[in-house]
Amino acid sequence: MSYPENILRKSDDQVQKHITARVKALESMLVEQGVFSTSMVDRMAEIFENEVGPHLGANVVAKAWVDPEYKSRLLKDGTAACKELGYSGLQGEDMMWVENTDDVHHVVVCTLCSCYPWPVLGLPPNWFKEPQYRSRAVRDPRGLLKEEFGVDIPIEKEIKVWDSSSEMRFIVIPQRPAGTEGWSKDQLAKLVTRDSMTGCGLATAA
Amino acid sequence: MMTGAPFVQLVHCPTLEDRATVESLIAQLPGGDRPADRGFDEPWQLRAFALAVTAHKAGRFEWVQFQAALIASIKKWEETHALDDPSWSYYEHWVTAFETVLAQLGLLDTPSLESRTAHVLATPPHKDHHEAHLDPVAVHPAVKT
Repeated sequence: MSYPENILRKSDDQVQKHITARVKALESMLVEQGVFSTSMVDRMAEIFENEVGPHLGANVVAKAWVDPEYKSRLLKDGTAACKELGYSGLQGEDMMWVENTDDVHHVVVCTLCSCYPWPVLGLPPNWFKEPQYRSRAVRDPRGLLKEEFGVDIPIEKEIKVWDSSSEMRFIVIPQRPAGTEGWSKDQLAKLVTRDSMTGCGLATAA
Repeated sequence: MMTGAPFVQLVHCPTLEDRATVESLIAQLPGGDRPADRGFDEPWQLRAFALAVTAHKAGRFEWVQFQAALIASIKKWEETHALDDPSWSYYEHWVTAFETVLAQLGLLDTPSLESRTAHVLATPPHKDHHEAHLDPVAVHPAVKT
């Protein structure tokens, strides 16, 4: 990964101090205006910091791997199929799952900002929001996957790049690794990483 | 013959493969992520995120309205900076977008925001708590029978 060099936060202490103060000021202004209470904000922060994350999407993928009927429901209506497992909410109103096969590899990007399916993947990592990722994913997905993520997609395989927007967010069903026949859903879910569900990684049974 | 402190020799430098193996394991642990994988670098970013989502949940604005403001702020930056400009800060755009939406709703009281910000900056955390207090701050006597 070469992104860490680029995404290092601003080292300027003053900038950080100032924006920290500004966010605090915004909060106190809005609490006073009755928009929300501090405890409502606390709860929201807690949910997105600790409770929602790619482990939920991994459960969806594992279920799709072991249950063909669920998989066809998932591919047909991703939002409804996720809701079956209790995963729904903001930024997950319209989700479309795309399945990797021997012939095609899918990659997800949000070209304009950072549209991302929060209910099943949590919040996007920094690199997903980076201008370089957003532009190179479209221009040169094969090179990007190989050089930045160490994922070498053979030239015979087609790569499809999907642009998530506020109207439709995409998630990848990675290919089930060979040699996992008979594994339980929980065992399989552990193989499904966040990167594999954005198409920037593969599920592997190391 | 060795004398003094034992000499430790590194017999095996981790190879790229070793690192890759370990990374896929630690990438799944909270806090074990590579820095680029983290969602938030600073506490204010999580807070700013939660402020906007909570205000939306409280019914103050449609999420698309926020999204449009976020896209506009990012677009403006990209038109005037190189893509690898190190001053990139996603959550600064988030804060800008949030303020834009609040202004559209008439909820942004700029003078109040400025003075509150100045007040926070002028009030260091624990401002009266800089000396070490080496004695107990209170003692509640035991009752011996």
